[in-house]
Amino acid sequence: MADPTCESTGVVSTHKDRSIAWTVTIAFGVVILIPCLMGFIVKFGELVALTKDPADGGFAITPVINYLLASAGFFFLLLWAALNGMFRDLERPKYLMLENERELDAHG
Amino acid sequence: MTATAITSDTKSHEELVDEKIVKFYLITALIFLTTSMLAGILVALQMIRHNPFAGIELFSPGRWRMVHTNAVAYGFLANGFLGCLHWAIPRLTLQPVANKKLSWFIFAAWQVVVGATAIGILLGEAQGLEWGETPVWIDPLAQVGLLLVAINFMTPIARMKGPMYVSLWYFLAAFVWTFLTYAMGNFIPEYFVSGTSAGAVGGLFIHDLVGLFVTPLGWGLMYYFVPILLKRPIWSHGLSLVGFWGLAFFYPLQGIHHFLYTPIPLFLQYGAIVSTIAVELVVTTVIINFFGSIWGNAGVVRTNLPIRWFYTGMIYYFLTCLQCAFQVTLTFQKVIHFTDWVVGHAHMVMFGVFSMWIMGMMTYLFPRLLGRNWASRSLCEWHYWLSTLGLFVMAADLILLGLFQGWSWAALEPWDASVDFSFPFWVLRVIAGLAMFGGLLAFLTNIWLTFRAAPVTAPVKSGGLLPT
Ligand code: HEM
Repeated sequence: MADPTCESTGVVSTHKDRSIAWTVTIAFGVVILIPCLMGFIVKFGELVALTKDPADGGFAITPVINYLLASAGFFFLLLWAALNGMFRDLERPKYLMLENERELDAHG
Repeated sequence: MTATAITSDTKSHEELVDEKIVKFYLITALIFLTTSMLAGILVALQMIRHNPFAGIELFSPGRWRMVHTNAVAYGFLANGFLGCLHWAIPRLTLQPVANKKLSWFIFAAWQVVVGATAIGILLGEAQGLEWGETPVWIDPLAQVGLLLVAINFMTPIARMKGPMYVSLWYFLAAFVWTFLTYAMGNFIPEYFVSGTSAGAVGGLFIHDLVGLFVTPLGWGLMYYFVPILLKRPIWSHGLSLVGFWGLAFFYPLQGIHHFLYTPIPLFLQYGAIVSTIAVELVVTTVIINFFGSIWGNAGVVRTNLPIRWFYTGMIYYFLTCLQCAFQVTLTFQKVIHFTDWVVGHAHMVMFGVFSMWIMGMMTYLFPRLLGRNWASRSLCEWHYWLSTLGLFVMAADLILLGLFQGWSWAALEPWDASVDFSFPFWVLRVIAGLAMFGGLLAFLTNIWLTFRAAPVTAPVKSGGLLPT
Protein backbone atom coordinates (compact mmCIF):
# COMPACT_ATOMS: atom_id res chain seq x y z
CA MET A 1 0.00 0.00 0.00
CA ALA A 2 1.57 3.28 -1.08
CA ASP A 3 1.29 6.03 1.49
CA PRO A 4 0.53 9.52 0.15
CA THR A 5 3.13 11.21 2.37
CA CYS A 6 5.56 8.61 1.29
CA GLU A 7 5.09 9.53 -2.35
CA SER A 8 5.65 13.17 -1.66
CA THR A 9 9.06 12.37 -0.17
CA GLY A 10 9.99 10.54 -3.36
CA VAL A 11 10.13 7.13 -1.69
CA VAL A 12 7.57 4.55 -2.70
CA SER A 13 7.02 1.80 -0.18
CA THR A 14 6.02 -1.28 -2.16
CA HIS A 15 4.64 -4.57 -1.00
CA LYS A 16 8.04 -6.11 -1.76
CA ASP A 17 9.83 -3.54 0.43
CA ARG A 18 7.49 -4.36 3.25
CA SER A 19 7.98 -8.07 2.98
CA ILE A 20 11.77 -7.62 2.91
CA ALA A 21 11.51 -5.46 6.01
CA TRP A 22 9.44 -8.16 7.71
CA THR A 23 11.81 -10.93 6.70
CA VAL A 24 14.81 -9.00 8.04
CA THR A 25 12.95 -8.17 11.25
CA ILE A 26 11.91 -11.77 11.86
CA ALA A 27 15.34 -13.13 10.95
CA PHE A 28 16.99 -10.76 13.43
CA GLY A 29 14.39 -11.60 16.05
CA VAL A 30 15.20 -15.30 15.71
CA VAL A 31 18.96 -14.74 15.63
CA ILE A 32 18.73 -12.66 18.80
CA LEU A 33 16.34 -14.91 20.66
CA ILE A 34 17.90 -18.32 20.08
CA PRO A 35 21.36 -17.69 21.65
CA CYS A 36 19.75 -15.72 24.45
CA LEU A 37 17.30 -18.45 25.22
CA MET A 38 19.99 -21.11 25.22
CA GLY A 39 22.27 -19.03 27.42
CA PHE A 40 19.39 -18.25 29.70
CA ILE A 41 18.28 -21.84 30.26
CA VAL A 42 21.78 -23.11 31.04
CA LYS A 43 22.68 -20.23 33.32
CA PHE A 44 19.31 -20.27 35.02
CA GLY A 45 19.97 -23.86 36.06
CA GLU A 46 23.32 -22.82 37.54
CA LEU A 47 21.74 -19.87 39.28
CA VAL A 48 19.10 -22.02 40.94
CA ALA A 49 21.83 -24.36 42.15
CA LEU A 50 23.90 -21.49 43.50
CA THR A 51 21.09 -19.77 45.36
CA LYS A 52 20.89 -22.83 47.60
CA ASP A 53 24.42 -22.11 48.81
CA PRO A 54 24.12 -20.35 52.20
CA ALA A 55 27.34 -18.32 51.67
CA ASP A 56 27.01 -17.17 48.05
CA GLY A 57 23.26 -17.44 47.49
CA GLY A 58 22.36 -13.88 48.49
CA PHE A 59 25.31 -12.41 46.63
CA ALA A 60 24.30 -14.25 43.47
CA ILE A 61 20.67 -13.32 43.56
CA THR A 62 21.06 -9.59 44.31
CA PRO A 63 22.05 -8.43 40.80
CA VAL A 64 19.35 -10.60 39.26
CA ILE A 65 16.71 -8.99 41.46
CA ASN A 66 18.08 -5.56 40.58
CA TYR A 67 17.79 -6.37 36.92
CA LEU A 68 14.27 -7.72 37.27
CA LEU A 69 13.18 -4.59 39.11
CA ALA A 70 14.72 -2.37 36.44
CA SER A 71 13.18 -4.37 33.62
CA ALA A 72 9.78 -4.76 35.24
CA GLY A 73 9.10 -1.07 34.61
CA PHE A 74 9.93 -1.49 30.95
CA PHE A 75 7.91 -4.65 30.70
CA PHE A 76 4.82 -2.84 31.98
CA LEU A 77 5.55 0.11 29.71
CA LEU A 78 5.72 -2.27 26.77
CA LEU A 79 2.39 -3.83 27.79
CA TRP A 80 0.81 -0.41 28.25
CA ALA A 81 2.10 0.76 24.88
CA ALA A 82 0.81 -2.34 23.11
CA LEU A 83 -2.61 -2.08 24.79
CA ASN A 84 -2.85 1.58 23.83
CA GLY A 85 -2.32 0.93 20.16
CA MET A 86 1.20 2.34 20.03
CA PHE A 87 2.29 -0.45 17.71
CA ARG A 88 -0.85 -0.64 15.58
CA ASP A 89 0.03 1.44 12.55
CA LEU A 90 3.72 0.84 12.99
CA GLU A 91 5.08 2.82 10.06
CA ARG A 92 2.72 5.78 10.25
CA PRO A 93 4.74 7.93 12.75
CA LYS A 94 7.73 8.10 10.42
CA TYR A 95 5.66 9.68 7.63
CA LEU A 96 3.77 11.96 9.96
CA MET A 97 6.98 13.26 11.51
CA LEU A 98 8.33 14.27 8.09
CA GLU A 99 5.03 15.80 7.09
CA ASN A 100 4.97 17.90 10.29
CA GLU A 101 8.55 19.00 9.70
CA ARG A 102 7.69 20.22 6.22
CA GLU A 103 4.65 22.08 7.47
CA LEU A 104 6.56 23.70 10.30
CA ASP A 105 9.25 24.91 7.91
CA ALA A 106 6.74 26.10 5.37
CA HIS A 107 4.85 28.20 7.93
CA GLY A 108 7.71 28.99 10.30
CA MET B 1 -6.39 6.76 17.99
CA THR B 2 -4.69 9.23 15.67
CA ALA B 3 -1.17 10.46 16.04
CA THR B 4 -0.38 14.12 16.58
CA ALA B 5 -0.58 16.01 13.29
CA ILE B 6 -0.51 19.66 12.32
CA THR B 7 -3.87 21.43 12.52
CA SER B 8 -4.86 25.07 12.39
CA ASP B 9 -4.31 25.26 16.19
CA THR B 10 -0.74 24.02 15.97
CA LYS B 11 1.84 26.51 17.17
CA SER B 12 4.45 27.85 14.77
CA HIS B 13 8.14 27.00 15.00
CA GLU B 14 8.80 30.31 16.78
CA GLU B 15 6.20 29.52 19.43
CA LEU B 16 7.44 25.97 19.86
CA VAL B 17 11.21 26.35 19.86
CA ASP B 18 13.14 28.80 22.00
CA GLU B 19 16.01 29.28 19.55
CA LYS B 20 17.94 31.43 21.98
CA ILE B 21 18.30 28.64 24.51
CA VAL B 22 19.36 26.20 21.80
CA LYS B 23 22.06 28.67 20.78
CA PHE B 24 23.21 29.17 24.37
CA TYR B 25 23.41 25.44 25.01
CA LEU B 26 25.41 24.78 21.85
CA ILE B 27 27.87 27.60 22.47
CA THR B 28 28.35 26.53 26.08
CA ALA B 29 28.91 22.98 24.90
CA LEU B 30 31.69 24.20 22.63
CA ILE B 31 33.31 26.19 25.44
CA PHE B 32 33.42 23.05 27.58
CA LEU B 33 34.72 20.97 24.67
CA THR B 34 37.56 23.45 24.20
CA THR B 35 38.41 23.23 27.91
CA SER B 36 38.20 19.45 27.86
CA MET B 37 40.35 19.05 24.78
CA LEU B 38 43.01 21.38 26.21
CA ALA B 39 42.95 19.26 29.36
CA GLY B 40 43.28 16.10 27.22
CA ILE B 41 46.28 17.56 25.42
CA LEU B 42 47.83 18.45 28.78
CA VAL B 43 47.42 14.88 30.07
CA ALA B 44 48.75 13.49 26.79
CA LEU B 45 51.79 15.78 27.12
CA GLN B 46 52.36 14.51 30.65
CA MET B 47 52.50 10.94 29.30
CA ILE B 48 55.38 11.94 27.02
CA ARG B 49 57.05 13.79 29.91
CA HIS B 50 56.47 17.25 28.49
CA ASN B 51 54.00 18.62 30.99
CA PRO B 52 54.32 22.40 30.66
CA PHE B 53 52.89 22.86 34.17
CA ALA B 54 54.97 20.27 36.00
CA GLY B 55 55.21 21.01 39.71
CA ILE B 56 52.09 23.23 39.90
CA GLU B 57 49.58 21.40 42.08
CA LEU B 58 46.54 23.12 40.57
CA PHE B 59 47.55 21.88 37.14
CA SER B 60 48.58 18.39 38.16
CA PRO B 61 47.73 15.85 35.42
CA GLY B 62 45.61 13.70 37.73
CA ARG B 63 43.25 16.62 38.22
CA TRP B 64 43.27 17.64 34.56
CA ARG B 65 42.44 14.11 33.49
CA MET B 66 39.28 14.34 35.56
CA VAL B 67 38.48 17.77 34.14
CA HIS B 68 38.99 16.26 30.68
CA THR B 69 36.50 13.42 31.08
CA ASN B 70 34.03 15.26 33.32
CA ALA B 71 33.82 18.42 31.22
CA VAL B 72 33.38 16.36 28.08
CA ALA B 73 30.54 14.29 29.52
CA TYR B 74 28.55 16.89 31.43
CA GLY B 75 29.79 20.09 29.81
CA PHE B 76 29.99 19.12 26.16
CA LEU B 77 27.82 16.05 25.56
CA ALA B 78 25.06 16.97 28.02
CA ASN B 79 24.87 20.62 26.93
CA GLY B 80 25.03 19.63 23.26
CA PHE B 81 22.23 17.10 23.70
CA LEU B 82 20.09 19.46 25.77
CA GLY B 83 20.40 22.16 23.12
CA CYS B 84 19.39 19.76 20.34
CA LEU B 85 16.53 18.38 22.46
CA HIS B 86 15.16 21.90 22.86
CA TRP B 87 14.92 21.93 19.08
CA ALA B 88 13.78 18.38 18.38
CA ILE B 89 11.22 17.63 21.12
CA PRO B 90 8.92 20.62 20.54
CA ARG B 91 9.03 20.04 16.77
CA LEU B 92 8.34 16.32 17.13
CA THR B 93 5.53 16.70 19.62
CA LEU B 94 4.19 20.03 18.31
CA GLN B 95 4.16 21.11 21.96
CA PRO B 96 6.51 23.55 23.67
CA VAL B 97 8.49 22.37 26.70
CA ALA B 98 6.63 22.44 30.03
CA ASN B 99 7.96 25.84 30.98
CA LYS B 100 10.38 28.07 29.10
CA LYS B 101 11.48 29.86 32.29
CA LEU B 102 12.25 26.49 33.81
CA SER B 103 14.43 25.77 30.75
CA TRP B 104 16.52 28.85 31.49
CA PHE B 105 16.74 27.97 35.16
CA ILE B 106 17.96 24.47 34.25
CA PHE B 107 20.44 25.94 31.79
CA ALA B 108 21.94 28.25 34.43
CA ALA B 109 21.90 25.59 37.17
CA TRP B 110 23.57 23.04 34.89
CA GLN B 111 26.42 25.41 34.07
CA VAL B 112 26.89 26.05 37.78
CA VAL B 113 27.06 22.28 38.34
CA VAL B 114 29.61 21.65 35.59
CA GLY B 115 31.66 24.79 36.28
CA ALA B 116 31.73 24.13 40.04
CA THR B 117 32.75 20.54 39.32
CA ALA B 118 35.74 21.67 37.25
CA ILE B 119 36.80 24.12 39.96
CA GLY B 120 36.17 21.54 42.69
CA ILE B 121 38.32 18.98 40.86
CA LEU B 122 41.16 21.45 40.36
CA LEU B 123 41.03 22.32 44.05
CA GLY B 124 41.29 18.64 44.95
CA GLU B 125 37.65 18.12 45.94
CA ALA B 126 36.84 15.30 43.52
CA GLN B 127 34.62 12.37 44.46
CA GLY B 128 36.53 9.12 43.92
CA LEU B 129 34.33 7.82 41.11
CA GLU B 130 35.26 7.95 37.44
CA TRP B 131 32.80 10.18 35.52
CA GLY B 132 31.20 10.94 38.88
CA GLU B 133 34.01 13.21 40.08
CA THR B 134 31.44 15.93 40.77
CA PRO B 135 32.21 16.89 44.41
CA VAL B 136 29.71 15.31 46.81
CA TRP B 137 28.20 18.66 47.79
CA ILE B 138 27.13 19.28 44.17
CA ASP B 139 25.54 15.84 43.62
CA PRO B 140 22.12 16.69 45.13
CA LEU B 141 21.90 19.81 42.95
CA ALA B 142 22.78 17.80 39.83
CA GLN B 143 20.17 15.21 40.80
CA VAL B 144 17.45 17.86 41.15
CA GLY B 145 18.60 19.34 37.82
CA LEU B 146 18.11 15.97 36.11
CA LEU B 147 14.64 15.67 37.62
CA LEU B 148 13.69 19.10 36.29
CA VAL B 149 15.06 18.22 32.84
CA ALA B 150 12.85 15.12 32.86
CA ILE B 151 9.76 17.09 33.88
CA ASN B 152 10.38 19.86 31.36
CA PHE B 153 10.78 17.49 28.40
CA MET B 154 8.45 14.67 29.38
CA THR B 155 5.48 17.01 29.68
CA PRO B 156 5.24 17.77 25.93
CA ILE B 157 5.78 14.09 25.14
CA ALA B 158 3.01 13.08 27.56
CA ARG B 159 0.66 15.61 25.96
CA MET B 160 1.05 13.93 22.58
CA LYS B 161 -1.68 11.69 21.25
CA GLY B 162 -1.30 8.40 19.44
CA PRO B 163 1.65 6.21 18.46
CA MET B 164 4.96 7.82 19.23
CA TYR B 165 7.82 8.27 16.82
CA VAL B 166 10.85 6.20 17.85
CA SER B 167 12.94 9.24 18.89
CA LEU B 168 10.44 10.01 21.62
CA TRP B 169 10.68 6.50 23.02
CA TYR B 170 14.44 6.93 23.27
CA PHE B 171 14.13 10.35 24.90
CA LEU B 172 11.57 9.21 27.46
CA ALA B 173 13.74 6.30 28.47
CA ALA B 174 16.88 8.43 28.60
CA PHE B 175 15.33 10.90 31.04
CA VAL B 176 14.34 8.13 33.44
CA TRP B 177 17.56 6.15 33.04
CA THR B 178 19.88 9.13 33.44
CA PHE B 179 18.17 10.17 36.64
CA LEU B 180 18.42 6.67 38.08
CA THR B 181 21.96 6.06 36.85
CA TYR B 182 23.24 9.30 38.33
CA ALA B 183 21.66 8.48 41.68
CA MET B 184 23.04 4.95 41.65
CA GLY B 185 26.62 5.97 40.85
CA ASN B 186 26.90 9.06 43.00
CA PHE B 187 25.07 8.06 46.16
CA ILE B 188 25.24 4.27 46.58
CA PRO B 189 29.05 3.90 46.70
CA GLU B 190 29.40 7.13 48.68
CA TYR B 191 26.92 6.36 51.43
CA PHE B 192 25.66 2.78 51.30
CA VAL B 193 28.20 0.21 50.11
CA SER B 194 31.98 -0.02 50.18
CA GLY B 195 34.85 -2.18 48.95
CA THR B 196 34.39 -4.38 45.90
CA SER B 197 30.64 -3.78 45.87
CA ALA B 198 31.26 -0.04 45.57
CA GLY B 199 33.75 -0.78 42.77
CA ALA B 200 31.13 -2.84 40.98
CA VAL B 201 28.52 -0.09 41.27
CA GLY B 202 31.09 2.43 40.02
CA GLY B 203 31.80 0.30 36.94
CA LEU B 204 28.12 -0.16 36.29
CA PHE B 205 27.69 3.61 36.58
CA ILE B 206 30.19 4.40 33.80
CA HIS B 207 28.75 1.64 31.67
CA ASP B 208 25.18 2.86 32.13
CA LEU B 209 26.10 6.49 31.53
CA VAL B 210 27.26 5.48 28.08
CA GLY B 211 24.41 3.10 27.36
CA LEU B 212 21.49 4.69 29.12
CA PHE B 213 22.24 8.41 28.92
CA VAL B 214 24.43 9.10 25.87
CA THR B 215 23.27 6.26 23.61
CA PRO B 216 19.48 6.77 23.75
CA LEU B 217 19.79 10.54 23.38
CA GLY B 218 22.24 10.11 20.51
CA TRP B 219 20.15 7.58 18.60
CA GLY B 220 16.91 9.42 19.37
CA LEU B 221 18.36 12.56 17.81
CA MET B 222 19.70 10.62 14.82
CA TYR B 223 16.24 9.18 14.16
CA TYR B 224 15.04 12.78 14.06
CA PHE B 225 17.79 14.58 12.15
CA VAL B 226 18.70 11.95 9.54
CA PRO B 227 15.21 11.66 7.96
CA ILE B 228 14.64 15.41 7.90
CA LEU B 229 17.98 15.99 6.20
CA LEU B 230 17.60 13.11 3.77
CA LYS B 231 14.01 14.19 3.22
CA ARG B 232 12.88 10.60 3.34
CA PRO B 233 11.58 8.50 6.23
CA ILE B 234 13.62 6.04 8.18
CA TRP B 235 13.70 2.71 6.35
CA SER B 236 11.67 0.76 8.89
CA HIS B 237 10.00 2.28 11.93
CA GLY B 238 9.17 -1.22 13.17
CA LEU B 239 12.84 -2.20 13.12
CA SER B 240 13.75 1.00 14.94
CA LEU B 241 11.40 -0.03 17.75
CA VAL B 242 13.11 -3.43 17.90
CA GLY B 243 16.33 -1.48 18.47
CA PHE B 244 14.80 0.59 21.23
CA TRP B 245 13.18 -2.28 23.15
CA GLY B 246 16.27 -4.42 22.61
CA LEU B 247 18.37 -1.74 24.30
CA ALA B 248 15.84 -1.41 27.11
CA PHE B 249 15.82 -5.10 27.95
CA PHE B 250 19.35 -6.26 27.20
CA TYR B 251 21.50 -3.29 28.12
CA PRO B 252 20.99 -3.27 31.91
CA LEU B 253 22.10 -6.92 32.07
CA GLN B 254 25.51 -6.20 30.61
CA GLY B 255 27.18 -4.21 33.37
CA ILE B 256 29.09 -7.18 34.70
CA HIS B 257 31.04 -7.46 31.43
CA HIS B 258 33.38 -4.87 33.00
CA PHE B 259 34.13 -7.37 35.76
CA LEU B 260 35.15 -10.47 33.89
CA TYR B 261 37.65 -12.56 35.88
CA THR B 262 36.52 -11.01 39.18
CA PRO B 263 35.05 -12.99 42.12
CA ILE B 264 31.53 -12.30 40.82
CA PRO B 265 29.86 -15.70 40.08
CA LEU B 266 30.78 -16.92 36.62
CA PHE B 267 27.20 -17.50 35.50
CA LEU B 268 26.58 -13.78 35.99
CA GLN B 269 29.66 -12.98 33.93
CA TYR B 270 28.44 -15.35 31.22
CA GLY B 271 24.97 -13.79 31.44
CA ALA B 272 26.53 -10.40 30.80
CA ILE B 273 28.47 -11.81 27.85
CA VAL B 274 25.36 -13.31 26.28
CA SER B 275 23.35 -10.14 26.69
CA THR B 276 26.23 -8.10 25.28
CA ILE B 277 26.16 -10.28 22.17
CA ALA B 278 22.39 -9.75 22.05
CA VAL B 279 22.93 -6.00 22.15
CA GLU B 280 25.43 -6.33 19.28
CA LEU B 281 22.64 -7.84 17.21
CA VAL B 282 20.25 -5.11 18.27
CA VAL B 283 22.88 -2.55 17.25
CA THR B 284 23.18 -4.23 13.88
CA THR B 285 19.44 -3.79 13.29
CA VAL B 286 19.83 -0.07 14.01
CA ILE B 287 22.79 0.28 11.64
CA ILE B 288 20.97 -1.64 8.91
CA ASN B 289 17.99 0.65 9.35
CA PHE B 290 20.05 3.80 8.87
CA PHE B 291 21.98 2.43 5.92
CA GLY B 292 18.69 1.22 4.46
CA SER B 293 17.45 4.79 4.75
CA ILE B 294 20.29 6.28 2.74
CA TRP B 295 20.41 3.39 0.26
CA GLY B 296 20.45 4.63 -3.33
CA ASN B 297 21.24 8.18 -2.22
CA ALA B 298 24.64 7.73 -0.58
CA GLY B 299 26.23 10.40 -2.79
CA VAL B 300 24.58 12.94 -0.54
CA VAL B 301 27.43 12.55 1.96
CA ARG B 302 29.66 14.47 -0.44
CA THR B 303 27.56 17.59 -0.34
CA ASN B 304 25.54 17.41 2.83
CA LEU B 305 27.98 17.85 5.70
CA PRO B 306 25.64 17.11 8.62
CA ILE B 307 24.71 13.81 6.96
CA ARG B 308 28.39 13.07 6.45
CA TRP B 309 29.07 13.65 10.17
CA PHE B 310 26.11 11.45 11.11
CA TYR B 311 27.07 8.52 8.92
CA THR B 312 30.75 8.73 9.85
CA GLY B 313 29.63 8.52 13.47
CA MET B 314 27.52 5.48 12.61
CA ILE B 315 30.48 3.74 11.01
CA TYR B 316 32.52 4.44 14.13
CA TYR B 317 29.58 3.19 16.18
CA PHE B 318 29.53 -0.05 14.30
CA LEU B 319 33.30 -0.39 14.75
CA THR B 320 33.13 0.22 18.50
CA CYS B 321 30.33 -2.30 18.85
CA LEU B 322 32.29 -4.80 16.82
CA GLN B 323 35.17 -4.18 19.21
CA CYS B 324 32.79 -4.78 22.12
CA ALA B 325 31.87 -8.17 20.69
CA PHE B 326 35.53 -9.16 20.96
CA GLN B 327 36.23 -7.31 24.20
CA VAL B 328 33.48 -9.16 25.96
CA THR B 329 35.12 -12.54 25.47
CA LEU B 330 37.29 -13.84 28.28
CA THR B 331 40.08 -14.66 25.84
CA PHE B 332 40.30 -11.07 24.68
CA GLN B 333 39.92 -9.60 28.15
CA LYS B 334 43.04 -11.43 29.22
CA VAL B 335 45.05 -9.30 26.80
CA ILE B 336 43.41 -5.90 26.71
CA HIS B 337 42.28 -5.21 30.28
CA PHE B 338 44.02 -2.13 31.76
CA THR B 339 45.79 -1.36 28.48
CA ASP B 340 45.53 1.63 26.14
CA TRP B 341 43.15 -0.40 23.99
CA VAL B 342 40.40 0.72 26.37
CA VAL B 343 41.40 4.38 26.05
CA GLY B 344 41.34 4.02 22.24
CA HIS B 345 37.91 2.42 22.48
CA ALA B 346 36.65 5.22 24.78
CA HIS B 347 37.74 7.93 22.33
CA MET B 348 36.29 6.10 19.38
CA VAL B 349 32.88 5.94 21.00
CA MET B 350 32.80 9.29 22.77
CA PHE B 351 34.40 11.38 20.05
CA GLY B 352 33.98 9.19 16.97
CA VAL B 353 30.30 8.61 17.56
CA PHE B 354 28.54 10.99 19.90
CA SER B 355 30.69 14.07 19.39
CA MET B 356 30.50 13.56 15.63
CA TRP B 357 26.72 13.46 15.83
CA ILE B 358 26.66 16.61 17.92
CA MET B 359 29.01 18.28 15.43
CA GLY B 360 26.69 17.26 12.59
CA MET B 361 23.67 18.64 14.44
CA MET B 362 25.55 21.85 15.16
CA THR B 363 26.59 22.14 11.51
CA TYR B 364 22.91 21.91 10.61
CA LEU B 365 21.55 24.11 13.40
CA PHE B 366 23.98 27.03 13.64
CA PRO B 367 23.06 28.56 10.25
CA ARG B 368 19.39 28.32 11.15
CA LEU B 369 19.94 29.73 14.62
CA LEU B 370 22.13 32.57 13.38
CA GLY B 371 19.99 33.23 10.29
CA ARG B 372 23.10 33.12 8.10
CA ASN B 373 24.71 30.64 5.76
CA TRP B 374 28.03 29.21 6.88
CA ALA B 375 30.71 31.83 6.19
CA SER B 376 33.18 29.26 4.89
CA ARG B 377 32.49 25.88 3.39
CA SER B 378 36.18 25.02 3.45
CA LEU B 379 36.41 25.64 7.22
CA CYS B 380 33.51 23.20 7.59
CA GLU B 381 35.48 20.70 5.54
CA TRP B 382 38.64 21.27 7.62
CA HIS B 383 36.62 20.72 10.76
CA TYR B 384 35.30 17.44 9.46
CA TRP B 385 38.53 16.05 8.04
CA LEU B 386 40.82 17.05 10.91
CA SER B 387 38.37 15.55 13.41
CA THR B 388 37.75 12.37 11.46
CA LEU B 389 41.33 11.62 10.54
CA GLY B 390 42.70 12.80 13.90
CA LEU B 391 40.33 10.48 15.70
CA PHE B 392 41.08 7.62 13.35
CA VAL B 393 44.82 7.94 13.98
CA MET B 394 44.35 8.34 17.74
CA ALA B 395 42.05 5.32 18.04
CA ALA B 396 44.12 3.07 15.77
CA ASP B 397 47.30 4.10 17.58
CA LEU B 398 45.95 3.36 21.06
CA ILE B 399 44.14 0.17 20.09
CA LEU B 400 47.29 -1.25 18.55
CA LEU B 401 49.37 -0.09 21.48
CA GLY B 402 46.92 -1.81 23.83
CA LEU B 403 47.57 -5.14 22.14
CA PHE B 404 51.34 -4.68 22.42
CA GLN B 405 51.05 -3.73 26.08
CA GLY B 406 48.79 -6.70 26.83
CA TRP B 407 51.08 -9.19 25.14
CA SER B 408 54.11 -7.67 26.82
CA TRP B 409 52.53 -8.00 30.27
CA ALA B 410 51.30 -11.51 29.49
CA ALA B 411 54.89 -12.44 28.60
CA LEU B 412 55.88 -11.10 32.05
CA GLU B 413 58.22 -8.53 30.57
CA PRO B 414 59.13 -5.75 33.00
CA TRP B 415 56.59 -2.96 33.28
CA ASP B 416 59.24 -0.36 32.28
CA ALA B 417 59.69 -2.08 28.93
CA SER B 418 56.02 -1.51 28.11
CA VAL B 419 56.30 2.16 29.11
CA ASP B 420 59.34 2.55 26.85
CA PHE B 421 57.76 1.08 23.75
CA SER B 422 54.51 2.98 24.42
CA PHE B 423 56.33 6.30 24.15
CA PRO B 424 56.20 6.77 20.33
CA PHE B 425 52.53 5.77 20.36
CA TRP B 426 51.84 8.41 22.98
CA VAL B 427 53.68 11.00 20.89
CA LEU B 428 51.41 10.10 17.97
CA ARG B 429 48.41 10.54 20.26
CA VAL B 430 49.51 14.12 20.96
CA ILE B 431 49.79 14.82 17.21
CA ALA B 432 46.37 13.28 16.53
CA GLY B 433 44.89 15.23 19.47
CA LEU B 434 46.31 18.47 18.11
CA ALA B 435 44.71 17.69 14.74
CA MET B 436 41.33 17.15 16.42
CA PHE B 437 41.78 20.36 18.35
CA GLY B 438 42.70 22.13 15.09
CA GLY B 439 39.38 20.91 13.67
CA LEU B 440 37.56 22.43 16.61
CA LEU B 441 39.38 25.74 16.15
CA ALA B 442 38.33 25.76 12.48
CA PHE B 443 34.73 25.28 13.60
CA LEU B 444 34.90 28.02 16.21
CA THR B 445 36.43 30.42 13.67
CA ASN B 446 33.69 29.56 11.21
CA ILE B 447 30.97 30.21 13.78
CA TRP B 448 32.54 33.57 14.58
CA LEU B 449 32.83 34.53 10.88
CA THR B 450 29.25 33.40 10.27
CA PHE B 451 28.03 35.41 13.23
CA ARG B 452 29.78 38.50 11.83
CA ALA B 453 28.36 38.01 8.30
CA ALA B 454 25.23 39.71 7.04
CA PRO B 455 22.01 37.78 7.78
CA VAL B 456 20.19 36.17 4.87
CA THR B 457 16.59 37.10 4.13
CA ALA B 458 15.40 33.73 2.81
CA PRO B 459 15.11 30.89 5.36
CA VAL B 460 18.36 28.96 5.71
CA LYS B 461 17.94 25.37 4.54
CA SER B 462 20.02 22.20 4.17
CA GLY B 463 22.54 23.07 6.81
CA GLY B 464 23.19 26.50 5.33
CA LEU B 465 26.15 25.26 3.37
CA LEU B 466 27.43 27.34 0.53
CA PRO B 467 28.33 25.45 -2.64
CA THR B 468 31.94 24.33 -2.87
C1 HEM C 1 42.46 16.86 21.93
C2 HEM C 1 42.02 15.66 21.88
C3 HEM C 1 42.16 14.68 23.02
C4 HEM C 1 43.29 14.24 23.66
C5 HEM C 1 44.72 14.62 23.36
C6 HEM C 1 42.87 13.31 24.68
C7 HEM C 1 43.72 12.65 25.56
C8 HEM C 1 43.32 11.82 26.59
C9 HEM C 1 44.19 11.24 27.57
C10 HEM C 1 45.70 11.43 27.63
C11 HEM C 1 43.44 10.48 28.40
C12 HEM C 1 43.93 9.67 29.61
C13 HEM C 1 44.30 8.30 29.19
C14 HEM C 1 44.88 7.47 30.32
O1 HEM C 1 44.50 7.65 31.48
O2 HEM C 1 45.73 6.61 30.04
C15 HEM C 1 42.08 10.56 27.94
C16 HEM C 1 41.02 9.89 28.52
C17 HEM C 1 39.72 9.97 28.04
N1 HEM C 1 39.25 10.82 27.06
FE1 HEM C 1 40.37 12.05 25.87
N2 HEM C 1 41.50 13.20 24.64
C18 HEM C 1 41.04 14.04 23.65
C19 HEM C 1 39.72 14.25 23.30
C20 HEM C 1 38.64 13.61 23.87
C21 HEM C 1 37.27 13.81 23.53
C22 HEM C 1 36.79 14.84 22.51
C23 HEM C 1 36.53 12.96 24.27
C24 HEM C 1 35.04 12.74 24.30
C25 HEM C 1 34.19 13.26 23.52
C26 HEM C 1 37.43 12.21 25.12
C27 HEM C 1 37.06 11.23 26.01
C28 HEM C 1 37.90 10.59 26.89
C29 HEM C 1 37.50 9.55 27.81
C30 HEM C 1 36.08 8.99 27.95
C31 HEM C 1 38.63 9.16 28.51
C32 HEM C 1 38.72 8.08 29.62
C33 HEM C 1 39.25 6.83 28.99
C34 HEM C 1 39.38 5.67 29.96
O3 HEM C 1 39.36 5.87 31.17
O4 HEM C 1 39.53 4.53 29.49
N3 HEM C 1 38.71 12.64 24.86
N4 HEM C 1 42.04 11.41 26.85
